[in-house]
Amino acid sequence: MSAGVGRLVDALGPEAVFLHEPRAVEGAKLEATLRPQSGEALAEMLRVLGEEALPVLLRGGGSRLATANVPCRARVLLETGGLDFAPEIDAEEGVARCAAGGRLAALGAALAGSGFELPLDPPGRDATLGGALAAAAAGPRFAQPRDAVLGLGVVLASGERIRCGGRVVKNVTGYDLAKLFVGSFGTLGVIEWAWLRLVPAPEETRVCVAPFGLDPEEDASALAAARRPSVRAAALADAALLGDAAPGDAPRWLVIELAGDAAAVAADAEALAREHGALPAEAGALERARGAQGAGPLRIRIAARPTRPPAAALRLREAGGEVLAHPARGLAWARFALEGPADERGVDRALAAATRAVSDAGGARRLEEAPVAAREGREVFGGATASLALERAVKRQYDPAGLLNPGRFVGGL
Amino acid sequence: MHSARSAARSEGSARAESPRPGLLAALREIVGAGGLLARPEDLLVYEADGLTVHGAKPAAVVLPRDKTEVVRVVRACRAHGAPFVPRGAGTGLSGGAIALDDGVVIECSRMNRMLRIDPENRVAVVEPGVVNADLSQAVAQHGLFYAPDPSSQMACTLGGNVAENSGGPHTLKYGTTTQHVLALELVLPDGALVRIGSATGFPAGSDLVGAVVGGEGTLGIVTEITVRLSPVPEHAETLLGIFPDVVSACRAVGAVIAAGLVPAALEIVDRRTIAAVEASVYAAGLPTDAGAVLLVELDGPAVAVARQVERVRALALAAGAREVAIARDAAERARFWRARKGAFGAMGRLAPDLYVHDAVVPRSRLPEILERVCEIGDRYGLRLSNVFHAGDGNLHPNISFDRRDADELRRVVAAGEEILKVCVEAGGVISGEHGIGTEKRAYLSMVFSDADLGAMCRLRAAFDPDGVCNPGKIFPTTRFCMEANPKARGYERVELG
Repeated sequence: MSAGVGRLVDALGPEAVFLHEPRAVEGAKLEATLRPQSGEALAEMLRVLGEEALPVLLRGGGSRLATANVPCRARVLLETGGLDFAPEIDAEEGVARCAAGGRLAALGAALAGSGFELPLDPPGRDATLGGALAAAAAGPRFAQPRDAVLGLGVVLASGERIRCGGRVVKNVTGYDLAKLFVGSFGTLGVIEWAWLRLVPAPEETRVCVAPFGLDPEEDASALAAARRPSVRAAALADAALLGDAAPGDAPRWLVIELAGDAAAVAADAEALAREHGALPAEAGALERARGAQGAGPLRIRIAARPTRPPAAALRLREAGGEVLAHPARGLAWARFALEGPADERGVDRALAAATRAVSDAGGARRLEEAPVAAREGREVFGGATASLALERAVKRQYDPAGLLNPGRFVGGL
Repeated sequence: MHSARSAARSEGSARAESPRPGLLAALREIVGAGGLLARPEDLLVYEADGLTVHGAKPAAVVLPRDKTEVVRVVRACRAHGAPFVPRGAGTGLSGGAIALDDGVVIECSRMNRMLRIDPENRVAVVEPGVVNADLSQAVAQHGLFYAPDPSSQMACTLGGNVAENSGGPHTLKYGTTTQHVLALELVLPDGALVRIGSATGFPAGSDLVGAVVGGEGTLGIVTEITVRLSPVPEHAETLLGIFPDVVSACRAVGAVIAAGLVPAALEIVDRRTIAAVEASVYAAGLPTDAGAVLLVELDGPAVAVARQVERVRALALAAGAREVAIARDAAERARFWRARKGAFGAMGRLAPDLYVHDAVVPRSRLPEILERVCEIGDRYGLRLSNVFHAGDGNLHPNISFDRRDADELRRVVAAGEEILKVCVEAGGVISGEHGIGTEKRAYLSMVFSDADLGAMCRLRAAFDPDGVCNPGKIFPTTRFCMEANPKARGYERVELG
């Protein structure tokens, strides 16, 4: 046990610090694990960690652990799953205050019957709210977690507990700081809880699938289909990703979830059948299509303008990737097989394809999942961003000592 | 003379020259004589924005034509130690666009080009001086529009909208400005030009765009804006419900939200506003004995809208509506909206000044809060009326007054403060769409702790470590945000007596 960790035990008490043999996680050598059960405890822990200059690796449900740079320079693992309380649901307002440690599945279940739904659906069964927000994790229905957040409770690296935003649906009272914490991978503060704006549960939901060929020319038609007014999720998946959920032998399938007003859903279903040959499908088809979004070993995300992903998908497919695209959102994921965790050539090949895809399509690529060895020395978040100097200035303000997830974010922040 | 501004004005006219010799010449060198305003009579209009009770005279106003000139202007200001403030059309309602500390106003109205419209990807890139409504008009031919529609949309600029995170009647369904801005180019307070965000909506790093939108011009000068365009809905219907009182109108709003309906707009106009509107040129033929009018706009696929109209009508009648009318044509729709949009103009004719308040409460608390707001207005002997974005819980108590009457002005300010307190106690906030500016900076601590405000100041320090970009705004006291010139000269808080 290092001296710093020893003092951590002295300050927080032996029951709060789980000591273990040095363990390599995400390139970090971790000596201890902290599992705060309350915001107060989290604040106290961060204060002491700061005094002892012991950086932490943050972990929610673990589903986005591999979507970040390595090595992490942390010494202690901080698990946020214990920051949990029963969600405070205000069904009259359509808002809810939820704990960061709450599992999304549990939050969704708690909302059943309220007439509202959780506006987040990233892949990953164990995803926590805090982790999903910190990673700005996109799902097929809700691509922008930032839009769901009305207010946040955050513990800063200094151990200060702050609140930003509020519980009301419209608010310009001071800076919109919540935006800063959503999507910054825990590097600016640890999310403790959130006020979320819920979405009304749709009157009707239907899933259908339409066959598509691999010719990028067909993607314009997929985009038009995905832009019909009742479409809540549209995933254009290579057949391999759908497996036996595919009702035929087309090379690609557009899986569409229609949701909302029953008459509008029926009208869109009819139009999709007429214009795209769409067939009714089971709700599970969408979950199957998410496979590429949710499973390793190597996944790359391309974000481009909506008309651009087709060309990118072609590049990724040429390099052996299985591609899932969300046409109207300009997102595409490619899943690649690797020959073991040290398959450098496999990673290089996939990344080269992604780089070409991005240079064709504009936009950016992100390494969403890869073995630690494959991320070593590579920028997970794509190329240099034009605003890196500003990102650094922001990091210096919120976490000057580099306590929170050091080395994990864009540019090694 | 007007009490709040007279001090600033007389100080300004007594001042023969800028306290920063060489600044004007340096600015003239950059923007030319035609792009610089420095004579007292030219500066008059820049002494205030839409909030007329707060004023400050700027040292000068520059009208740059492009980003290069903005960079040079910012550098010149820094070289001469002058703070600076970006300004759009000056329609803001919280004093955000006034220049304190003899600052320089950087007016962006000449940077009004639409640089790129990409209808397939539903994105537009514009300069900050483009007028909000002009963008929607320009993209209408593609079946698209720019969704945030503040009431001043015929005049206000997109740069100003970004600074204030502007809302409007249709934000209930479509969201405020922040949901429609994808990327920004801005000149940082040190003169560096940076791009933040991504036209894809998925930036590689932190959501800096989300932090800058609503930054009230304190984080830099925006020189280019990439916005999301939305498809014009297939069909829209406008309903007007006549209610015996505000409480039943609010009940109807609650029922609509609880039913899972998301109208494009849910607006309430109270009895006092109806009376003012009907007595003005905006008269919409509303029954003046009605207690409140609820305006509902539903849009989307025609088949869905047709069903929703029936559901909303039934919910409104069940909540106690005397009558629910559905607009038969565009003319009637315009007439319905006149009751809402004409409110400010109608109230404006009752007295020389109009104070438009702005606060938000959980919408279920609206009836009780409105009652208290009216009680406060009556207790202070003020002409107060309400129009509000009921679906968002966003109140706009309007007070018609005469700022030359020092006692009335004092009562207006005191009543405003009490109204904000009531809203905060109900779980609300002190601004839903107007911003804090100078108007509410003393009240920010009603909502946030010192630690919360300190966290905001960290953001400010990352962008503007010397506090030279729009100083004296948002934050309650100069304990916050290390401003270069903490005196905030030229601005007087209205004396509370």
